[in-house]
Amino acid sequence: MKKSLVVSGSGGQGVMSSGIMVAQTAVAAGKCATYLPEYGPEQRGGSAKCTVVVNDTEIISPLASKCDTLITMNEQSYKKFGASLKAGGVLIANTSRVISPITREDIVVVAVPADDIAVELGNIKCANIVLIGALIGADAGIITEEAMLNSLTAKFGSKKQEVLDLNKAALAKGIEFGKAAIAK
Amino acid sequence: MAKVLVKGNEAIAEAAVRAGCRFFAGYPITPQNEIPEYLSWRLPEVGGVFVQGESEVASVNMVYGAAASGCRAMTSSSGPGISLKAEGISYLSGTQLPAVIVNISRGGPGLGSIQPAQQDYLQATKALGHGGFRVMVFAPSTLQEAVDLTYSAWDYAERDRNPVLILMDGCLGAIMEQVEFPEMKEPMREGTKNWSLNRVEGVHRSDRLLTPYFPEAMLEMQNKSRALMVKRWEENDVKVEEFMLDDAEFVVVAYGISARVAKEAILKLREEGYKIGMIRPITLFPFPKESFRKLDYTKVKGFIDIELAIPAQMRDDIALEVKDRAPIYEYCRSGGFLFDDDGVYTAVKKILDGGAK
Repeated sequence: MKKSLVVSGSGGQGVMSSGIMVAQTAVAAGKCATYLPEYGPEQRGGSAKCTVVVNDTEIISPLASKCDTLITMNEQSYKKFGASLKAGGVLIANTSRVISPITREDIVVVAVPADDIAVELGNIKCANIVLIGALIGADAGIITEEAMLNSLTAKFGSKKQEVLDLNKAALAKGIEFGKAAIAK
Repeated sequence: MAKVLVKGNEAIAEAAVRAGCRFFAGYPITPQNEIPEYLSWRLPEVGGVFVQGESEVASVNMVYGAAASGCRAMTSSSGPGISLKAEGISYLSGTQLPAVIVNISRGGPGLGSIQPAQQDYLQATKALGHGGFRVMVFAPSTLQEAVDLTYSAWDYAERDRNPVLILMDGCLGAIMEQVEFPEMKEPMREGTKNWSLNRVEGVHRSDRLLTPYFPEAMLEMQNKSRALMVKRWEENDVKVEEFMLDDAEFVVVAYGISARVAKEAILKLREEGYKIGMIRPITLFPFPKESFRKLDYTKVKGFIDIELAIPAQMRDDIALEVKDRAPIYEYCRSGGFLFDDDGVYTAVKKILDGGAK
């Protein structure tokens, strides 16, 4: 089934690397995927967004108007893209930075203080992995935990063991939040 | 070989290496920067040469020199940079040298915008430089197609001793999707082609063109032979996808990323019972005239030109073939705005409902 994910935030938060990891994970699990980055001339601090489309068969158009799942990593991106989430979709909000109240009632909301969790775990850089965990935990139907663990090993396996462990812990924490949100 | 997830620009760069390209010179410009970035490490790996020139003009002239030695050479840029390379591309065609030029296009005119667009259609198909020369223009719609077209581009360039242009929008340049790369071709040794300046044996000196400036009679003779070449392209080298045309009352015409969004809309509209299909030019030049000529104009109620260009540019080529036999509608965006599924679906449906009245 064709599913679209938008990851949005500020340049430097790991928006693009999250999107690429999700696309790579889906492909490694035998699916088709497209990844489209959108950003301005800024490297850091500017608005950053990427769209990932995952499907069982070849993807005809990679330019979905509304997304099935939305990850917003900061307040600005929540305000900008919140409305582009389909009814019945999953919103994963990094509530360490998204401060507006989330009022939509036609969506599943996973509120994750990803920055705070990442800092507690030891490195703010893994906040995006916490959010990917929430995506898996909320059963968004894009990637599985097993496939994502394989991706983390492929990406960080050659680095120090603690880097891999940190990211695995971040993923696990995110999954908890995702599961709790859909159990409500 | 297994499929790999790659970025459009890098897919073109790797396909070029596999096609035997061993020289690249370019100057940075968004949204094509991953092509030079990739080739800056990849070409030295295979014994090739990468140069970041001091300007677009210098870069295209380095390609001119490399092509004259018989080496498979390439340069890439985006709209504003292609304009600067225009002189060199005209010289390549004038001295009958093969090379591949890549335009990953962005919003225009002028410096325009760094966001994707299809606003270089007219430049690409009508006059890529001064002097009235033509080049084959390849317009991929998927990254696999980008790989396959790039891989074959030098075969056409060398057959014709003429540059080939790959025109792809910045959206496909930036996107990542799965491709399968072809086998590595054995790079051609320099000096083995009849235009090579360092050729040693078996080639008549007159095969080479050692000056870009010709006596009148010779220049006209050359231009006549080039006119015949263009005619041969139109007869033999057109590439086109004809999608759901058999019973179509409305025909979308779109290329590149626009064609993918249009196809999604067509499939949805077909489910709703609309008789709609698409002509997708893969070679923008030679334009797929035959696809328009063989349509049944007693059935076709209209054409819908969908491009990321305002004013529409491909419309002129469509109109030349349709010849007032059916109305031509447009749905266009520009300036760096992209199409999206709902937008194209809604716009096309509105045209169909209005046109069916």
